[in-house]
Amino acid sequence: MARHLRFVARTVMVQDGNVDAAYKALNRVLSVDGILETVKRKRYYEKPCRQRQRENYENCRRIYHAEMARRISFLSKANRPDPWLGC
Amino acid sequence: MSNLTSRLSSLARCANQHILASFNMGRASVVSTESRRPICSSAIRQQESAEEATVTPKTSSREFSIYPPMPGEDSPLRWGGMKFEDLPIAHIKATYNNTHIQVTDHSGQYMARTSCGAEGFRNVKKSTPIAAQTAGISAAAKAQAKGVTFVRVVVKGLGPGRLSAIKGLTMGGLEVVSITDNTPVPHNGCRPRKARRM
Repeated sequence: MARHLRFVARTVMVQDGNVDAAYKALNRVLSVDGILETVKRKRYYEKPCRQRQRENYENCRRIYHAEMARRISFLSKANRPDPWLGC
Repeated sequence: MSNLTSRLSSLARCANQHILASFNMGRASVVSTESRRPICSSAIRQQESAEEATVTPKTSSREFSIYPPMPGEDSPLRWGGMKFEDLPIAHIKATYNNTHIQVTDHSGQYMARTSCGAEGFRNVKKSTPIAAQTAGISAAAKAQAKGVTFVRVVVKGLGPGRLSAIKGLTMGGLEVVSITDNTPVPHNGCRPRKARRM
């Protein structure tokens, strides 16, 4: 990152000497940005066929989890207006 | 049935306002001078006065933001009389086999340097958090001999000594002000080595 301004991005200040909390915050920021998994993946080369398989698998997994969460939240709704009102 | 539910909800709303009014009146001393008026109109006014009373103590205490002070703008924060840009930097390179620590001043001039191998660990013992911690302690001792107290930490690499090196610096007596991550992320540059098959 020699072409960028230093100490601007990926920086976390330490409050009251609490280094652990600052490190946790930094890890959270990095994982949300997807930097940690990118670094781990680029340690060894990933062939294009393996990369395509992995992208496909992640897409299917994302759709499946989103759909399942949607269905579960729908079924677990308890407070709803009385459907038999007025009968 | 609908009348019952509407009456229940209005009862609940009035009860909540009553509770809120009594709570706010307990907190703000200014409010007690007001006369007792019907609840619905006075609840909002009591809320506003309670908010004003609680806003002022927050602004008097210093607000802490996890973002560092930008190089352009002036900030009132000082560490040992130095601004954020003038603090010395401790570079920590945490590879998978070893951990190097180098302390430099704000312009990059060398001040102190150690690594796990320099501490006497060999081969596999270099890639442990304990070795990184001892390297941090010795680097902190060497830097304090040159008159360094506050330091910004720059970490490079994902290794076993990533966190314990910072811990070692604090145990050795240096004050960590901020932690930066400078792990090199190629935007598809050099091709890394082939995948391991175990």
